[in-house]
Amino acid sequence: MTAKRWLWASYAVALILLLVLPHAIGVMTRELIGRIFILAVFGMSYDILRGYTGIINLGHAAFFGGGTYIAGIMFTRLGTSASASLLAVALAWAFAVILALVMGQFAFRNTGAGGVLACAMITLAFGEIVRHTAETFRQFTQGADGLTFAVPVIFRDRIGMYYYALLFLVVMTLLLRQFINSPAGRVLQAIRDNEQRARFLGYDVRKYKLLALVTAALAASSAGFMFALLTRFANTDLLSVQNTLNALLFTIVGGTGTLYGAIVGTAFVQLVQSYLLELRGIHEIFARWQIFFGAIYVLVVLYMPLGMVGAFLRIKGSLAYWRTSGGNHTRAGD
Amino acid sequence: MSNALIETQNLTINFGGHRAVDDLSLSIEQNTFTAIIGPNGAGKTTFFNLLSGLLQPTSGRILFKGADITGLSPMQRVALGIGRSFQLTNVFPTLTVHENVRLVLQSRERVGCRPLTSYRRFPELIAEAEQILADVLLLGKGHLPAARLSHGEQRKLEMAMVLAMRPQLLLLDEPTAGMALEEVPVMLELLTHAKARGESTIVLIEHKMDLVTKLSDRVLVLVNGALLTEGTPAEVAKNPDVLKAYLGGGIRREATA
Ligand SMILES: Nc1ncnc2c1ncn2[C@@H]1O[C@H](COP(=O)(O)OP(=O)(O)O)[C@@H](O)[C@H]1O
Ligand SMILES: [Mg+2]
Repeated sequence: MTAKRWLWASYAVALILLLVLPHAIGVMTRELIGRIFILAVFGMSYDILRGYTGIINLGHAAFFGGGTYIAGIMFTRLGTSASASLLAVALAWAFAVILALVMGQFAFRNTGAGGVLACAMITLAFGEIVRHTAETFRQFTQGADGLTFAVPVIFRDRIGMYYYALLFLVVMTLLLRQFINSPAGRVLQAIRDNEQRARFLGYDVRKYKLLALVTAALAASSAGFMFALLTRFANTDLLSVQNTLNALLFTIVGGTGTLYGAIVGTAFVQLVQSYLLELRGIHEIFARWQIFFGAIYVLVVLYMPLGMVGAFLRIKGSLAYWRTSGGNHTRAGD
Repeated sequence: MSNALIETQNLTINFGGHRAVDDLSLSIEQNTFTAIIGPNGAGKTTFFNLLSGLLQPTSGRILFKGADITGLSPMQRVALGIGRSFQLTNVFPTLTVHENVRLVLQSRERVGCRPLTSYRRFPELIAEAEQILADVLLLGKGHLPAARLSHGEQRKLEMAMVLAMRPQLLLLDEPTAGMALEEVPVMLELLTHAKARGESTIVLIEHKMDLVTKLSDRVLVLVNGALLTEGTPAEVAKNPDVLKAYLGGGIRREATA
């Protein structure tokens, strides 16, 4: 019980620090941290798929970018009134659910040994279709130039937006944590481990994968929407495979299948990225931060396959195992 | 069509040129204990793969309670009451031993998705999983990832999982395969208990003849994908063709012990 109390105490301290923080830092840093809060949700949504269900989705950016574009287009066309904003949110969610159902219908058809590869290729194709569509309908999206837009008044205050982003992260973390600890979430982990056996326990694997995809899509699209409120800008990079790979990188660095790993990973990647960009004054090479991420990616995969949070849980799990072998119903190291 | 629970009609499957199950027509009566023996490569596992829906036959039909289930998916067959275990242990390696069993119960009790309810809201499943683990002497290992169990322990987990399904038709594929001899009595006890409970019609693929003799009402001898002979354990043991098939098929020593 005392361990639990310590845990809650540290959550409380962290929360207070995060609440005070925006008043103590510069505009740039505040912007960066707000970004981290929102992108972390995108990372967690990816972890639901790859980390918890074992699905490789190479078109995941379509959900995130879709959320951003829908917000931007609606604000541009219909203005920023409350009713227009609510309509925009509803549209972003509807888009996520419909695209996820259609994508999953094709991607999860192949249950055999080639299923993972087929799923990767099909989701890649869907992602590219969405990106291409956005590039084609220039009158709505401004194509490659990017779409700049105004946001509703309540989101215009910079410090206020920081708090909205923080609230979004907290709420989404709690919701997604609840999801992975639900009966459905437990089945997803079984599917990740051994899809065939899940089927022989009587689980409708395809239905559960669709549920995972719809959930991840809703989270990613919501994150994209929040991203629109924060940056007031959308371009087709948000829909690109590169953006999907960003989410993959967040989860790999932080720890796959740990949920919180995505938060740590996002923070790490974003902080390093902004630091490298600052160094570009010293040498041009630092502007090419993708090169460094390639290197980080390789190093993490080689030397820290569990990611930061994964490694931490492994150590914690071993300690607990030595101290006591008491009943623990969850996944080892969970 | 007396009281058959499951029945096959001219069941055949080809793998390329190889016919693993060859025009097999047989029926299994409700509430009986049937053993299937036969040399390695006889097609026993393939037969189970056909019954459970892992494989589709090249030709022939499968009837469950008189209804054609040949085209149904494994999941649909589980829903009808067909449960199977696997010869090669087939569990969820990173999930805990306890969770492996709990997931069976969650499916059996049709808990559903409940995406915003904690799995802990179903304490009866957690408790029953614990009871089941106690029955197979794995209670102390409940918190370990299944991959960390020894081979024999994984066989027991495999058995615990399929028994927890409480299917009407229980297909058991060599539950003692590769087990240490001293662990076999636990398995025998589990099988005896499952038989005594009388909930399931049991079909057991097994090489250990003493186990087969103790448990079975009827023994089917499968060779080259076809039925060589059948009868009570005593009848089959006396049949000279059976011994010849076994010797020809290169059966392991343990089978005749
Ligand atoms: N999926 C498969 N593809 C090709 N050949 C197979 C497959 N499954 C089984 N076989 C072949 O079918 C024959 C019967 O195998 P199996 O049913 O495993 O025998 P048993 O369980 O009686 O030892 C063997 O020759 C085996 O190699
Ligand atoms: Mg076999």
